[in-house]
Amino acid sequence: MKPSGKLLEVDLSVDYPNMPGALDQVRFDLDRGEILGLVGGSGSGKSTLAMAVLGLVQWKNGRVRGAIRFDGRELAAMREPELRAIRGSQISLVLQSPVSSLNPALRIETQFREAWKAHRSGLSSTHERELFLEHLRMVNLPAEPDFLRRYPSQISVGQAQRLLIAMAIMHRPKLLIADEPTSALDPITQAEVLALLARLNARLGMAILFISHDLLSIASLCRRVAILEQGRLVECADTAAIFQAPAHPFTRRLVEAVPALPHSFPSSLANIAAAVTGVSHARTAAAPQPQPASTLDSGTESCP
Amino acid sequence: MTKARRIAAIALLLLTGASLFAGWIARHPYQKQYREAIASPPAAGFPLGTDELGRDRFSRLLHGMRISLLLAPAAALLSTTLAALLGLTAGFLGGWWDRAVTGATDLFLSLPWFFLIITVRALLPLNVAPETSVLITFGLLGLLGWASPARVIRSAVRSLERSDFLLRARAAGSSNPRLLFIHLLPNLAPVLMAQFWIAVPLFLLSEADLGLLGLGVVEPLPSLGNLLRELANFSAVAGNPWMLAPAAAVMTFVGGLHFLLAPRSGAGT
Amino acid sequence: MKRSLLTALAALSLAWGQGGELRFCLRAEPKTFHPHKVVDEASDTVRYLTGGVLLRVNRKTQKLEPELATGWRIAADGRSITFDLRKDLFFSDGTPFDSADVVHTMAVLLEPETASPLAEPFRFGSGRLNTRAGGRHSVTITLPHPIGGFERLFDQIAILSSRSAIKEKAVLGPFLISERKPGAYLQLMRNPHYWKKDSHGRRLPYLDSIRLDIQSNRDAELLRYQRGQVHLLTSVDADHFDRLAASPHSGLADLGPSLDSEFLWFNQAPQAPIPAHKRAWFTSRNFRRAVSEIIRRDDLARVVFRGHAQPAAGPCSPANKLWFNSKLKPHAFDKKSALHRLAADGFRLQNGMLLDRHGNQVEFSLVTNAGNRTRERMAAMLQQDLAEIGIKLNIVTLDFPSLIERISRTLHYEASLLGFVNVDVDPTPQMNVWLSSASQHAWNPSQKTPATAWEAELDRLMRQQAAEWDFKKRKALYDKVQEIVWEQAPILYLVHKNVLIGVNPAVRNVVPSVLRPQTFWNPEFLALDGARISQRR
Repeated sequence: MKPSGKLLEVDLSVDYPNMPGALDQVRFDLDRGEILGLVGGSGSGKSTLAMAVLGLVQWKNGRVRGAIRFDGRELAAMREPELRAIRGSQISLVLQSPVSSLNPALRIETQFREAWKAHRSGLSSTHERELFLEHLRMVNLPAEPDFLRRYPSQISVGQAQRLLIAMAIMHRPKLLIADEPTSALDPITQAEVLALLARLNARLGMAILFISHDLLSIASLCRRVAILEQGRLVECADTAAIFQAPAHPFTRRLVEAVPALPHSFPSSLANIAAAVTGVSHARTAAAPQPQPASTLDSGTESCP
Repeated sequence: MTKARRIAAIALLLLTGASLFAGWIARHPYQKQYREAIASPPAAGFPLGTDELGRDRFSRLLHGMRISLLLAPAAALLSTTLAALLGLTAGFLGGWWDRAVTGATDLFLSLPWFFLIITVRALLPLNVAPETSVLITFGLLGLLGWASPARVIRSAVRSLERSDFLLRARAAGSSNPRLLFIHLLPNLAPVLMAQFWIAVPLFLLSEADLGLLGLGVVEPLPSLGNLLRELANFSAVAGNPWMLAPAAAVMTFVGGLHFLLAPRSGAGT
Repeated sequence: MKRSLLTALAALSLAWGQGGELRFCLRAEPKTFHPHKVVDEASDTVRYLTGGVLLRVNRKTQKLEPELATGWRIAADGRSITFDLRKDLFFSDGTPFDSADVVHTMAVLLEPETASPLAEPFRFGSGRLNTRAGGRHSVTITLPHPIGGFERLFDQIAILSSRSAIKEKAVLGPFLISERKPGAYLQLMRNPHYWKKDSHGRRLPYLDSIRLDIQSNRDAELLRYQRGQVHLLTSVDADHFDRLAASPHSGLADLGPSLDSEFLWFNQAPQAPIPAHKRAWFTSRNFRRAVSEIIRRDDLARVVFRGHAQPAAGPCSPANKLWFNSKLKPHAFDKKSALHRLAADGFRLQNGMLLDRHGNQVEFSLVTNAGNRTRERMAAMLQQDLAEIGIKLNIVTLDFPSLIERISRTLHYEASLLGFVNVDVDPTPQMNVWLSSASQHAWNPSQKTPATAWEAELDRLMRQQAAEWDFKKRKALYDKVQEIVWEQAPILYLVHKNVLIGVNPAVRNVVPSVLRPQTFWNPEFLALDGARISQRR
């Protein structure tokens, strides 16, 4: 039986005790396999939205009103055990800061195993390790047992974020929520991660809710963009439309704030994507990068 | 670092060995009163002299260490475990359980222990063998010592609660027990260790204080606590440095264990 | 010429001067400043220094001497005493002193709400005590029935003013409280209205003030004494004493045995919650005597008290010149006799353990107060002594209130090791210990009828001596009491501690005595070397 209709339909409000209306009647939807960009300034409620979809706001004493319809099921009405079964297996989360998202006291293998065992068991440790190594390979990390034995403090930030993505896709979720996954990374790594997400989207058919404050990243990845400001969804449209004719004043300010875009704005989406992936030449004047393109290319090409 | 560890290990081995084989090493029974040789300085047969009842200080030290060095860490382990269970669950689960544990902790810390311990003594039978009294004493210390470490652990858990890695683990669908024991516990290791190390010497000394309330290690059994209590009489210790041996033993023991078990400073990088 | 005259004058004014501040320590905060409510040692010290009494026990001769009363007469029936009061005396606030004040004092003392421990001895039997003034300077106190030696009680009854606005704060003693800082110190200054003069006609006291520092730590007290910051020490521990006495000019002295005794007793009360077979041991004279004979009292005195104690034969110490029964000797160590006595009661030794006739192992607990090093050491020594005849002794140290609770109320104990402090030499205040009906009849309190013939005899002898006022007859009766206690051993007397004191050599006129207060019982005469020499009138 093939599930029909939208993957995610959201119409919700969230209140915190000290901040009522953290999200105010935010309504959007997401198709299967689609990448939706969610843009907003800091404090606009982007992360709250991610937490709400995962049913995690109550851990911060928040209260959800409204509906979160995911894959034909109503998440807002679910109890904790059902939600737990969905978290990590159907909906995954990647956070902004890769370093603090990894448990400093545990080896990488342990963290992998925990992510795996949260939903499945019955695999021998040898098979488990093969699975982990395969996922390391999928995100272009060294697929070596030695790497698995490391502690988080022994890997780089970029490696950490790719590792987190690897763990997030282990159960082949239908939706990956990426909450500013690139903002803690340097521009090259940023681009690598963006490319990786695009590739995984294409390969696994996994929808992505891509949360960012960086319009350029959004433009490179998403067909549609939703703009969040102070808990309200002020605009939701095709990426190109947003860039060409931002309707809302806030959106306009966002677009104008994009620093290094040439004044003659590219008209097609492909061009925008090119503008982003070609970060180096768009920003050459400001910050020359050594051999950025080749790094990026190797990343793209090594994709199996 | 490794050299210090090696020295610590040797010192501990010597202390433990000496106290385990106290009966063979010390020539005199710890309770035997040589009333013709009271409070004598070190001499042949009495390496640390005799106490004011003419008992061999060396023998009393070895037997006292056997009791205290075994039971104080055991009691510390018990209280730290209790504290960890309560502090962890309270900090992690929050809600009514947290309020209950926090309330119990505050109440526990504000209780008039003096009277409570007196009551405990009143409930105990009069004829308690010295060996039983030792177990009761340290059991009591272990059971009663949880409150302040629990408070520390709870607040440590509270701050870890806000950490990204826990959020991510939760978002990955990990269940509460796994979050608690696999994700939180290893991160609390330094806190738990610290609480344990605070408790060991504390219990060694509290045992002697309990003696003032009718509990504690009773005559004729020696314990580091009641040996250390002698040192309170500072005018007596002044000219008799060998009386400091129990203090030296405690410092060696606590210091040695600390060196040996402290987490490798290089573990992270 | 002129110079030698000056020298002579200086010599005349004696080696010490007037003025100066004497300092010593109280072990605890005084619980009360009302002289009739005193129960603790610190309050007693303050009362002694500030209160004026009709008669004073000379601590050296142990005899009574006139104080506020110039003389006293006991009527032939032993029921009344008449005091002639000193004239032209004034309380510290200037109010005059006369017979009305004595009448008032006795009235306050006997008021139930005063709850004065001093009133206890006057309450034996029925009837009321009557105090009647015979003019301004004579008072007669009549008892419902004779009480032997009751005149000595007036040594502790400080006279209150009937007229003063400040009530009991107006005093007749040499000093009065001038400043108080709870927990820290108490400052006494000389009473400007104090009546006594020395043989040169100089007004007493010599001292300007006394500072009583509240110091519970004995080590700290000792250290301050060594530095000359406090002048007097009382009840010095034996091991401290030996260490301090070794240094020259320490001022430390061993005055020989005190009136106090250390002892142990077994719980014989039928209502006590202890096993019946143990009560059977404890009520057996043979068992008690056997335990007494296995105790090495010489060792206790030598080891625990470093020789500053004497083995005890009974409640009365040889220091009690008037009442000690010199025929009695301490129970000597005699293992053979002890085993013999035990065998007579069916006890037997088996594998080093003593078993009673029913096969119960003889094991009992000894409660004593925690934190008292001497008692803990004594207990440890008793443990080894008793092990010699196969008795297992378990030592239980309790905080003092719990201990008192057990030995006086719940009676949940088997044996107890304690000490007794005797303030005076007379046996009458000990009625509450020896009478079988008394609440402090340690081994079996508050009996309706005496449990044993010898306790009945003790009751009879004690009552009779108390009703007698002729000393010789009383002494004969009390000698018999001591003999019964020696014979029956309801209480095993162990040692009498020696009185160990310290007096800074700068303090003059101290007459050390074994009776309390051992160093300052004549406070009005105490003086300090180097105090400013000034004439005061």
